[in-house]
Amino acid sequence: MPMRDLGSRQRIPWLLVRLTRLVTDSPDRLWAGLWILGIGALWAWDAAFLNRPAYLRLQAAFVNTMAGATLTVLFTLVLGWSAGLVLDSLSRRSSRIPYLLLTFTLSLIRSLPQIVGILIGYVLLTIFIERDIVRSTYLHLIWTALLISVFTFLELTDLLRERIDQYRKTDFFNAMLCCGIPERRIINVDVLWKNSLAHIFQKLIATFGMAIFLQCSIDFIISVGLSMDVSLSNFPPTLGSLLASLDSKQDILAIGVALGRPGYAGELLFRHLQGISVAFLIVFSLVCMYKISNGIVRRYRL
Amino acid sequence: MTRQLLDHVYSVVVVLAVFFVILKIVAPSPDAARQSRESEIAPYLDLDILDYSSPLDRAILKEALTAYYPGEPGRGDSLLSAIDAHRREAFTNPALKAGAEKPGLTPRTLARLAPMYVQFVLLYAVVLVLTVYGARMMGTFRFIRTQQRRLPALLEFLYTIAGARREIPLPGRITHALAALMRSLVNGMLYALLFSPAYVIAYSFKSHMEGGAYLFMVVLGVVSNGMLVTSANRFYTFLVHESARGYVDTAIVKGLNASYMWNVPDGLPRRAILRPAGASRGHVFHHIYENARYLYIPAVKQQASFLITGLVIIEMALNIQGHLCYELMQNILYRDYEVVAGIVIAIFLVVKATEVMVDIWFIRESRRYENANA
Repeated sequence: MPMRDLGSRQRIPWLLVRLTRLVTDSPDRLWAGLWILGIGALWAWDAAFLNRPAYLRLQAAFVNTMAGATLTVLFTLVLGWSAGLVLDSLSRRSSRIPYLLLTFTLSLIRSLPQIVGILIGYVLLTIFIERDIVRSTYLHLIWTALLISVFTFLELTDLLRERIDQYRKTDFFNAMLCCGIPERRIINVDVLWKNSLAHIFQKLIATFGMAIFLQCSIDFIISVGLSMDVSLSNFPPTLGSLLASLDSKQDILAIGVALGRPGYAGELLFRHLQGISVAFLIVFSLVCMYKISNGIVRRYRL
Repeated sequence: MTRQLLDHVYSVVVVLAVFFVILKIVAPSPDAARQSRESEIAPYLDLDILDYSSPLDRAILKEALTAYYPGEPGRGDSLLSAIDAHRREAFTNPALKAGAEKPGLTPRTLARLAPMYVQFVLLYAVVLVLTVYGARMMGTFRFIRTQQRRLPALLEFLYTIAGARREIPLPGRITHALAALMRSLVNGMLYALLFSPAYVIAYSFKSHMEGGAYLFMVVLGVVSNGMLVTSANRFYTFLVHESARGYVDTAIVKGLNASYMWNVPDGLPRRAILRPAGASRGHVFHHIYENARYLYIPAVKQQASFLITGLVIIEMALNIQGHLCYELMQNILYRDYEVVAGIVIAIFLVVKATEVMVDIWFIRESRRYENANA
């Protein structure tokens, strides 16, 4: 039934009205709340029904994955912001060569599939570990985050350049220049910070989702087929590596069994909890990040 | 057009040049590292009295070395690890087996990889076409549903059970609520499916993948990794952007159909989801769609790059023998970087070819619009 037909003829519970407003006006808040709620509910369920060692592994894997994704977002912000400013500055210089070189390099990165670049970076990491250059286990997370950000910062750079170019055409920009405000301040503070924060935030949320996806995928691939020279026990567990373990794979296989035999579905929540929890955490986080990112677009009409 | 094509040619030339430099660096010099390691451990391997699989013999050797080289306590450990690596390699390194291929990009390796590459490109092309079409379809569906201003299924269910649908008689109201609940569940499951990484879906149905599962891979490529839903979202954004333009209001004022309800006289037929351009003639949506479709063309480049990532993940994570990315993974594992570089450059060329084709497509479409306006 169309929403406009919801007249005041019938009394609608207050909570439902609030929920409708939340869905229509600020879906990002709703989905952020649902994400926290969903993970909280899973945490409580696992605390009650999952065996202790698996529970601790799952907890560590989740924390490491989120930490990795957060680091990726930070690196993306730094790289994207810097590249945006450098490109903007180079594009207005009389010599075009540095600008062309930089845009050429960036377009090369764009043409290289993310996962292939990250895999090559992983090979470098194993070489560093073998040669004892990298010793701390947590450097793996930082290294992976940095690698992923090399392939995600370009979208942020494009966005920042688009915003700067858009504002450069307005009177506001020239008026501020006439008032003696330095151009660097206008771009960084007035254009990007004050007038593009929602755009940047939305892009970073999308990057967070992408980072979770890429990190889980790369760790899954490494755990499945690239674990000969460097022991993976040296690496901090992530959702991807936990999913690749035999236990989790068998648990996931049970989903297919449950689809054929619906009576078996109940078992998923008790007997196959480790794999199901890992898969749920990955998929639910990806859905929520997508919804939050879209919700921001809707709320701020970006 | 020429300038854009030249840009692509330059980048391919630069990357190929870098590639050849890398090949020179990583080209397998007849296993210099292995030979030097083996010359170091050769005297110890010749000792028939030692069985390196026996912990006792290993401990004896380690103690003897510690006594013989008192200033180098780690020497025994290093030597034993080198011997272990040598023994392991004898079993695992295919290059050391009888009749094995020489490492590097030999003609034999190229001949073996060529059909895999063709297969990969075909798979990629099919999935790309399907996702471009699927993205338009899903984006159109979402746009029309938004314009219909319908409540989300779960809210509709909650409204019905809260008694806000009293105009529907009671038995019908229950059916209505159940239908809304079912729709909501199906939506939830669809979202879960569309956002699931390929390996989660694949391992839910099969414990082991074999070569030849092309249809399964095409389906995985289209529906998994958030590929379809992300592309559809991008197309939807273009539709929303276009629908806010001034010409839409002008068209409505001039009397074009503008209702988005299904099957009403000035509305849209349901088949508009499958054939948005053909089935919406005479409706303002036709123009919105055509313009959004044009704007979406450059975005196919991004979609292609992400699609390649998805396909590489599928082939690697599922460990399907006889596929290009499985070979890539095996060669990374065995440190045959010449083959790795070759496969990476081949994948890069696929992306570049797509970019060139998309640019040509976009320029042709632009010219069509320019001619139409002239």
